Amino acid sequence: MAQPLAQTVPTRTAESAPILKIEDIYAGYGEEDILRGVSMEVYPGEIVCVIGPNGAGKSTVFKAVYGFVNVRQGRILFDGQEITNAKPQVVIQRGLAMVPQLPSIFPQMTVYENLEMGLFLERDSRKVKARIEYVFELFPRLRERANVMAESLSGGERRMLEIGRALLIEPKMLLMDEPSAGLAPLVVRTIFELVRELNTKIGLTVLMIEQNVRQGLEASHRGYVLELGRITYQGKAQELLNNPDVRRTFLGGR
Amino acid sequence: MPFLQALLNGILVGGFYGFMVLGFSIIWGVMGIINLAHGEYVMMGAYFAWAMFRAFGIDPFVSALLVFPIMFVVGYVLQWLIINRVVERPHLISLLLNFGISISIANIYKLIYKADYRSVTVAYAGSFQLAGFTFPTVKTIIFFAALLIMVGLHLFLHRTRVGKSIRAAAQNKEAARIVGIDVHRVYAITAGICIGLTAVAGAMIAPIQPIFPFMGPIFTVRAFAITALGGLGRIPGALLGGLLLGIVETLLTIYVPGAGAKVGTAVSFIILVLVLITRPQGLLKGLRPVEGGA
Repeated sequence: MAQPLAQTVPTRTAESAPILKIEDIYAGYGEEDILRGVSMEVYPGEIVCVIGPNGAGKSTVFKAVYGFVNVRQGRILFDGQEITNAKPQVVIQRGLAMVPQLPSIFPQMTVYENLEMGLFLERDSRKVKARIEYVFELFPRLRERANVMAESLSGGERRMLEIGRALLIEPKMLLMDEPSAGLAPLVVRTIFELVRELNTKIGLTVLMIEQNVRQGLEASHRGYVLELGRITYQGKAQELLNNPDVRRTFLGGR
Repeated sequence: MPFLQALLNGILVGGFYGFMVLGFSIIWGVMGIINLAHGEYVMMGAYFAWAMFRAFGIDPFVSALLVFPIMFVVGYVLQWLIINRVVERPHLISLLLNFGISISIANIYKLIYKADYRSVTVAYAGSFQLAGFTFPTVKTIIFFAALLIMVGLHLFLHRTRVGKSIRAAAQNKEAARIVGIDVHRVYAITAGICIGLTAVAGAMIAPIQPIFPFMGPIFTVRAFAITALGGLGRIPGALLGGLLLGIVETLLTIYVPGAGAKVGTAVSFIILVLVLITRPQGLLKGLRPVEGGA
């Protein structure tokens, strides 16, 4: 089994500030608040995992950060600037990329076109080409499939394309909503290995939501447990994996 | 009339239908909105050509060029101010809204221009002979103009940044938002292009079509039938569906005595009903759920 990363948490100096800071937010749909006072921090170079049961509000955290739901109270700071209720375009331009849970590829465009769309806001075509080349170097498989319609890719390749496309904007941080959703167990492992590889290779900062608690936490440095719209546990990933309460609730063991 | 000549006439009409339907089909494919006011935009284009011809003697095909930017703005503003408020809400709402818009436009035109039939008679209204066939001049020009515009639109959708953003929004709205596309602006641009092109189609047929405020609905019905035949948002599908309808309409008119006058306008309905009964998913890849996109 892969060695957990928990031991290799980057040491924080007094100067290092969180790249993403969620301060006591209340957010939801319509009248009802799904999130009731959630606070989180992600530091540069970290992989942080949010776990929790269905309906706990995990996806809502992401939607709040990305401006897809209304934040009624509290603040969200990214890279020192407030992004509370900012439009997705603004959040992207600040350097926060997202891989959503639902398929986010354009099925009737080629892999190459899909990547081009990932840099929709960049008008310098030479820069677009260079960035796609960079992604092809990280994901040689995508280069092989460049002219294939995205709808004919395998599940793992699609997820790879989604991650690759998110990396095009040279994000300071990547949000991933259930990267393992809908993938075969073997493919899930490949995807988590990929995330860890990107973390060590290019220092990618990641905040992800995971249903797959064990593999998600094993791939992460730190974790948060979200239940009924509140954070109930937080800590180093290894500590959460060893925590008896967390184990009982999420890992079906003792 | 020999069969091949009848077929030729059908193809010429069909090419126009394939072009006329594009605005309807792309709006449906991109936004999931059924534009019941489609025929009214054809009517507006036709009246524009008539008014320009009467006032300044401007040729309808020149008017077709002039009407595009004007109706682009109309479509853009209409979408931005009104239809964007109900897009992505239940389909009945946008359906009723467009129904209201179509009635409003038709009656405003009745107030301005009266209900009288108008016509535009151009100098080249006749026909010419080629390879043993008779080519009606206006219809032939329309046919080739329609093909040219379709090729142009295809290139626009596949080669330009704006075109790609329209396809992206049609295929996956959430993903389009995530990569930074302003989907509501894309909707407005799409509506501008579609309504602009629909009016161009209206201006082009001004020389061969009686023009009156309530000429719209038959074009909307034809648009439905062609979309059922050829599918949503795909230009080759629109052309194929248009050709099929054009050929069926023309052959029926020629070979079934009295059909032209009596069932003429019902042909589209009959085709639509037959397609929906036998192949509800459409004849080709056809009528996918409106969420499906282009």
